[in-house]
Amino acid sequence: MQQLVKHLGFIFFSLYSAISFGQNDCNFTLSGYVLDAHNSEALGNSKVHIRELDITVSADEKGFYSIGNICSGTYVLFCKHIGCDAIIDTVSITGNTEHNFYPEHHIEFQAIQVEANKEENLTQKPEHLSQRELDESRGLTLGEGLAKMNGVGQLKTGNNISKPIIHGMHSNRILILNNGIRQEGQQWGNEHAPEIDPFIAGDLAVVKGASSVRYGSDAIAGVVLVNPRELKSTPGISGELNLVGFSNGRQGNASATLDGNFEKLPALRWRAQGTLKRGGNVHAPDYILKNTGIFEYNFSGAVGYIKPNYGINIFYSQFNTQIALFSASHFGNLTDLQQAFEAERPLETADFTYEIARPRQEIEHELFKAEGYWRTGEKGKLTVTYARQFNRRKEFDKHLPLNDSLAGLNLPALSFNLTTHTGEINWSHLRSHNFKGNLGVSGIYQGNTYSGRFFIPNFRKTGGGVYWIEQWKPKDSKLALEAGARFDYIYQRIYMWVDDEIYSPENHFINGSGSLGASYKFNKKFIARANAGTAWRPPNVAELYSNGLHHGASGIEIGDSTLGPERALNFTLTLEYKSEKLKVLVDGYYNIINDFIFLKPTQELILTIKGAYPGFRYAQANVHLRGTDITVGYNFSDHWAVSSKASLLRAWNFSQNDYLIWMPADRFENSLEYQFKDTPKLKNAFVNVSVVSVLKQKRVPENSDFAPPPHGYTILNASIGMDIPFRDDSITLGLSANNILNTSYRDYLNRFRYFTDEMGTNISLRVKVPFTILTSK
Amino acid sequence: MKVKTKIIALLGLAVVTGLSSCKKDEDLVETPPPTQNEEEVITTMTLTFVDDAGVQPTVTATFRDPDGDGGLGADIFDTIRLQNNTTYNVSITLLNETVTPAEDITVEVQEEDDEHFFCFSPSGADLSIIRTDTDGVYEVGLQSQWTVGAVSTGTTLISLKHQPGVKDGTCAPGETDIEVNFVTEIE
Repeated sequence: MQQLVKHLGFIFFSLYSAISFGQNDCNFTLSGYVLDAHNSEALGNSKVHIRELDITVSADEKGFYSIGNICSGTYVLFCKHIGCDAIIDTVSITGNTEHNFYPEHHIEFQAIQVEANKEENLTQKPEHLSQRELDESRGLTLGEGLAKMNGVGQLKTGNNISKPIIHGMHSNRILILNNGIRQEGQQWGNEHAPEIDPFIAGDLAVVKGASSVRYGSDAIAGVVLVNPRELKSTPGISGELNLVGFSNGRQGNASATLDGNFEKLPALRWRAQGTLKRGGNVHAPDYILKNTGIFEYNFSGAVGYIKPNYGINIFYSQFNTQIALFSASHFGNLTDLQQAFEAERPLETADFTYEIARPRQEIEHELFKAEGYWRTGEKGKLTVTYARQFNRRKEFDKHLPLNDSLAGLNLPALSFNLTTHTGEINWSHLRSHNFKGNLGVSGIYQGNTYSGRFFIPNFRKTGGGVYWIEQWKPKDSKLALEAGARFDYIYQRIYMWVDDEIYSPENHFINGSGSLGASYKFNKKFIARANAGTAWRPPNVAELYSNGLHHGASGIEIGDSTLGPERALNFTLTLEYKSEKLKVLVDGYYNIINDFIFLKPTQELILTIKGAYPGFRYAQANVHLRGTDITVGYNFSDHWAVSSKASLLRAWNFSQNDYLIWMPADRFENSLEYQFKDTPKLKNAFVNVSVVSVLKQKRVPENSDFAPPPHGYTILNASIGMDIPFRDDSITLGLSANNILNTSYRDYLNRFRYFTDEMGTNISLRVKVPFTILTSK
Repeated sequence: MKVKTKIIALLGLAVVTGLSSCKKDEDLVETPPPTQNEEEVITTMTLTFVDDAGVQPTVTATFRDPDGDGGLGADIFDTIRLQNNTTYNVSITLLNETVTPAEDITVEVQEEDDEHFFCFSPSGADLSIIRTDTDGVYEVGLQSQWTVGAVSTGTTLISLKHQPGVKDGTCAPGETDIEVNFVTEIE
């Protein structure tokens, strides 16, 4: 805190320093960092040259350079890093001066928009999982991995299905970009998790806040970016093997990656990757959960021909999963649900098995992507991307049909087939006359069919968008400004049976979105960002046309075909302070969503042969969600560090003067860490103990849930990790234990909380082994 | 320029390869599934009351939700009207009327009688009900005997439990396939 106060003082001081005069002597030092323009990584091996004095120095490993004994005056500086264009800056020195260089790696020029910009100046900076967090998320689902980020939660359906929640919103309000491509699955379903193998990711990042302009419609709450590592740029063949085991559910994961680059043709690069995962019934502290296993196999391949001025990337991936759904979560009617809820322990338990019985889900997702780029002139780059996705989802009920001939087919109760084609043409330009930016067009074509039980109708969707986003930042300016605009058009055509006739209504949605933001870098340690953005999404087909008993939710859900798009206006303010000892990150957000689509209880029971069910009708209301995510880390010494995270959210429905349902409860996490001194045999070794506390969610609307929210809980986790240097690389080992005290608890955002406690103690062991098969001579 | 042309050609090829499946996709979307509802549902339950002594007229009572769960509600929901001091033999018929002709689900339940169990809970009405059929081990309830007492009014809750592998002659295990609470008047 003291540091912060000191800092605020410094801000005011620095406002005055601009008009202060330097002493007229020659004892000044010019220093700074050479950092990669894309990811702010240190660029060692860089040279900095002062033309007037003919002095050249090299930057150290951290990209730091320093030149002493300079007289006041104006100088022309050159900075050169291998593989980058030289940078020429003019600096006037009137005192000790800091000046950073941000060379652009034109060879590694990334197609992904967010990386093409220097993130630090972005007014909505993506938050990345650190390498250690990424390692620790190996073997977990994508949702569980993302939840390591403060402000990102999970909507769970048991232990195998997890959807990310950003600032209280999920599903169609979050856009997931898998390798730069919009993930198109059946996102509308609460029990439909993202169909992505987390082992593909070399980088997992989240942009919190409305960001339709940059990423397209649906980005109301934010964007999840899943990016593979870049293809290998040095000759040879190398790879990485990941092995992860979990004690609870006796789950095993194996994932391997092979990367290659041809010595004779260094532009040609490739990668092959595959993952296997198998887990059995997991257990809560007091019982085994019947039918909670998982089996997954995924693979991907990539080939790139990467030249500085042009290149092409081809990517293919397949995701296949079979998820067992907890037996006791399947019930016939509300009496059964009430009985299950009131039972001390689930009405059905079992022994451990790897078998995946009914009820279960089987999902297959396939992505093909082709991308080409070429540089247009000195500063521009044109990228053309095409992608095709297939998503096949099958849901099997607990019981086979009574009719023997139907039962013999062993068909899923319902299945969906979704095919999506997307394309984008983007032109980006590097900084020129203080501006850099992107403009482009994108399009989508999609078709969905179902078979079995009706839940959502068949539909076709076509859409297109144009966007333009620019950032203004003069070389030495502390201020960066950003503005963008986008227009999208979406057309839907529905095909459904109504009274023995095919009914096929059409819907058109046109919408614009905009964003305006600023970042101000007070100094090397402190930066503030503010952004106002809008986003929108059209109502999805489930919201428009669903009509029937939602078996998983035990309610009769009725769509409304007159719903209009949902629009969000989002304000974010981020303060980031980073020094050697103290790190503070404060996110504040205020989200106003007009025509927010939600399930509104109809307050009447709908009578079926299975008894009466509550009715829910999709409705729209004006709501707001506001909150804050705070992370504070402090290093007491070289060995001891503490870190605290808090995530708070308040959501309110103005139209109904009531709370919003299914909002994350206040969450706190405190951890203490001991870091060992690096030795030649052991690096980055640590022991970490953390306590996670989640309060009871008391802000819930009345009469809209089957059971009150569960109590708050506190669980204890611990982890140990280390790198063991091995040849030129190092083997990474990790041992984690979650819920060490085997606490019985239930989480408000787990849809199985009506039936069962969360998992008991789970110990996991991870090994990451990099290897080299072939090196260049 | 030559390089550019190459890339455009390559990309074009990729796009064409990808789009070649579009046509198939469109067909799939244009043609909705052949049957409207492949799912098996129970829409109708009818109780037929026959006087054991053959004196009183036969009575029927029906619950019908013709489009299954959701959508429209029940269109027939009869009151059970029985004569006092009479013993009735009752049989239950189940139909799926979402298909034409209607499918008789009673037969299916009969075939899997070791997985099914009917439960009867009268309340308010002076009635006692016993199941009169068996799967060999436990009772089923497709056939039952209702002994009607004094004039009174109340309800009778009839439920069908699906109990594969867990049937034990009680109403506790399994899932509920049917749960209908008939208003019952004894005249």
